[in-house]
Amino acid sequence: MATEYMTRMGDGRRVFMTREDILADIEAGVAEGADSAEVPALSEEEIEHLLEIVCAKERIVTVEPGNEIVMSQDGGAISIDSEHTSGVPSGRILATLMYERGFCMDSIDFGHTDYSFKPVKPLISVECQQMRWVQEAVTVPVLYGAMPNMGLYYTPDGPYENPGDLMKAFKIQEARESIEKSADHLTRDIIWIVQKMMKSGGADGINFDTTGAAGDGDFFAALRAVEFLRKEFPEMYIEMGMAGESMLGIHGELEYKGKAVAGLWPHKQVELAAEAGANVFGPAVNTNTTRSFAWNLARAVTIVKEASKVSPIPVHVNMGNGVGGVPMFELPTLDALSRANKAMVELAHVDGI
Amino acid sequence: MTKDELFSELSNAVISCKKDKVLEAVEKARRELDPSEIIDKGLAAGMNEVGILFEKGRLFLPHVMMAADAMTAGVKLLEDDLPAGAVKGKLGTIVNGTVEGDVHDIGKSIVSTMLQSAGFEVHDVGRDVPVQVFIDKIREVDADMVGLSALMTTTLLGQKEVITCLKEEGIRDRVKVMVGGSPATQAWADKIGADCYAENASEAVMKAKELLCGA
Repeated sequence: MATEYMTRMGDGRRVFMTREDILADIEAGVAEGADSAEVPALSEEEIEHLLEIVCAKERIVTVEPGNEIVMSQDGGAISIDSEHTSGVPSGRILATLMYERGFCMDSIDFGHTDYSFKPVKPLISVECQQMRWVQEAVTVPVLYGAMPNMGLYYTPDGPYENPGDLMKAFKIQEARESIEKSADHLTRDIIWIVQKMMKSGGADGINFDTTGAAGDGDFFAALRAVEFLRKEFPEMYIEMGMAGESMLGIHGELEYKGKAVAGLWPHKQVELAAEAGANVFGPAVNTNTTRSFAWNLARAVTIVKEASKVSPIPVHVNMGNGVGGVPMFELPTLDALSRANKAMVELAHVDGI
Repeated sequence: MTKDELFSELSNAVISCKKDKVLEAVEKARRELDPSEIIDKGLAAGMNEVGILFEKGRLFLPHVMMAADAMTAGVKLLEDDLPAGAVKGKLGTIVNGTVEGDVHDIGKSIVSTMLQSAGFEVHDVGRDVPVQVFIDKIREVDADMVGLSALMTTTLLGQKEVITCLKEEGIRDRVKVMVGGSPATQAWADKIGADCYAENASEAVMKAKELLCGA
C-alpha cells in the first residue's frame, strides 16, 4: 500500500493523500493559476520542490537560517482581542505590544475594531490620541490600518444608490455613475483621515487593507488617495493589501493613469499600486474550500510568484484564513500555514508575509 | 453552416454582450434549427460561458447584464416559433439575502444578478435580514429556493437559524437551501443541513440549476 501523507482540504479538514495524488493536485493547481491569471506555470523543479514541502514529515516546516523575511501584521488588534479568534481581553495597545514583543512583527497595523475608513471619520480625534500612545510604547513602524470598504457608501449605509440594485434593474449607466460618486467620496474621506492621522496621530504610515473588496471602484478610489498622499507625505509608509485575486469589475470601465482597473490579477495590480506611490504591496489569492491544500497552494504560489517578479516594490503576501493557499479556518492549522509560508518564500520569492 | 457552427455563432453573440449581434444570429439560426436547440445549445451555452469569464475577470458585471438582456431579446424573438405551451418560463423562484447581523452586500448581489441572468426569478431581500423576513418572503413568492449569504465567521450561525425556522414553520421540505460566503464550506453546509454550498456566483447558478431543474 502506498504511503499516505496527512494534509488538508481548503476548508481545513484533515485528509490523507498519496504522493502521486498530491503531485497531481499540485500540477492541476499550477495549471489553473497560470491559466486564470495568464502567468507562466511553475517549472518541473519548482513543482518537485513544492511537493517536498507539502509532503514533509514534520508537522511544522520553515526556511533555512538566513532566508527569513519580514513580517508585517495587519488587521488591527482584532486577531488578539476579538472573541471569534483568540479572545484575549487585551485592548488594542496591549495587543500591539504583543505583536511587537511576543510575535516579533516587523511592522504593525493599528486600527479601529470596525476597521473601515468611513466610521473612523467621526472618531478621528480618539484614533489620533490612541496612535500617539502606541507610538510612545512601540519601537517598530506602526501604520494606521483600515479598509477602503466602498460598500459603506451605497444605500442603505451611504448616500449613493446601490449599484447592485441598479444592475439588477438593467440601469447600467446609473450604476456606473453611483460607483464614480462613491469613489470620489471615498477618496476624499481617506485623504482627510490620513492627513489627520499623520499630522496629529504621528503614524508612520497607512495600511490599506482588503483594497478592492467592493470591486474596481474601491481600488480606483484607493489608488487616487495613495497618489495624493504620496505627494503630501513623501516619507510615509504606504502598504496596499488586496481583498482578492482578480479585481472584480462592478463598473468595468474605470481607468487609472490610462489603464483599466477591472479584471487585473496581482501582477498587474502591483504595477498600479507602485505607480500610485505605495511602498509595499500585499497580493491576495483566494482559497477554494472544495480543493486540496496542495492544489490551492500550487495555484497561489504560481500567481504570487509573477507578482513578486514584476513588482518594483516589496511584496508582502497575504497569508491567513482563506488566502495564500492557507485553508479557510478561523485559526489556520500550523501544518498547512507553515508549509504555505515556506513555499511563498522559497518559490514565489516574496519579500514579506 | 453546420449546426455546430450555428451554435457557436449564437454563443459568441451572447458573449459579445451585443443585442444586435444576438438578434442577427437568432434570425439566421431559426431558418436551420429548432427554437429549443437555439436556446439551449446556443444562447444558454453562451450565457454559461459569460459566467465563467466573469469569474476569471475577463468580463465584468455590466457585461453580464448586457449579455442577459441580449439573450432575453433573442428568446423573445423565438417565442412565435415555439410550439404552444413550450415557451420557457422562469427556471425557479429564489429568495436571496445576507443573514441578520451581517452587512455584506456585494457578493450576495452578484449572486442575485447571475441567478437572474440565468433565468431565475430572484427576490433579493438585501443584507442584515432578520430570519422572519426570509420566511415571509419565501411564503409570499412561493419560493423554490432560498440563498443565504454570510461573510463573517461570527454570522455563519444565522444560516443555521433560517434552516431551523424553515423546519419550525413546516416549509423546509419544499424549499431548497443554498449557503455561501467566504467562511461557508461544504462541510458547514452538510453540518447545518443545507441542500448545497456554492463557492462563487457561477457555481451558485450551476447548483441552483441542478437542484431546481435537474440540469
